[in-house]
Amino acid sequence: MDRHPRRLPVFLKLAQIRFPIGAIASIAHRVSGVLLFIALPVVAVLLDTSLRDEAGFASVRDLISSPLAVVAAGVLVWALVHHVLAGIRHLLMDVGIGGELERARASARLVLIAAPALAVFLLFWGLS
Amino acid sequence: MRLFDGQRAWVVQRISALLLLVLAVLALPFASPLDFSAWRAFAGGVLGGPLIALLFGALCAHAWVGLRDIVLDYIQPRGLRLAVLSLIAVVLLGVLVRVLLSLAAAALST
Repeated sequence: MDRHPRRLPVFLKLAQIRFPIGAIASIAHRVSGVLLFIALPVVAVLLDTSLRDEAGFASVRDLISSPLAVVAAGVLVWALVHHVLAGIRHLLMDVGIGGELERARASARLVLIAAPALAVFLLFWGLS
Repeated sequence: MRLFDGQRAWVVQRISALLLLVLAVLALPFASPLDFSAWRAFAGGVLGGPLIALLFGALCAHAWVGLRDIVLDYIQPRGLRLAVLSLIAVVLLGVLVRVLLSLAAAALST
């Protein structure tokens, strides 16, 4: 871990740190990733239960259509959509598309607006 | 320490991200309600089983790199850092083992 001979620069005066739109999209990418990680063990257990027998399948189906689950699903669907969109944005930047400041700001804004909108759409589409 | 190698982690993160994107796009047309026997036949079948295993494999590899980056950024004390990384590794390996066991059980029962 300590391969750096010098101390890395650290700037953690929270009140002074500015959060431009790209930083908000970036921190949301991290937050959504952590949320998805927290959900992962639950998903693995649900997968196992749904494959076990008929009753398990029915209980998982009932659980994921209960009102409480819809709220949890809403947060997780947002996390998934934001993570995927922000991830695609990063992959495009990797191959040299949209790295300029103005376009990067525009795409960050697009991701931040599109993710909740798409999440709401997917949620209602899934419920209907 | 190889475990903290940056370039390999970068490549693993990108390849797993692309794999997850492709799998998600492939899965979208099939996102319709199933009954139990169709679901287990799919997950226990020669196509569905490996695809779900691949999905969770890519997911765990991707999650490992991402969470590792976050831990290395925000947690400086070495002991705490190692403890959190170990916890994450245990959770991800547990998820992977659990999914593989579920898929194997489904394959055996069909």
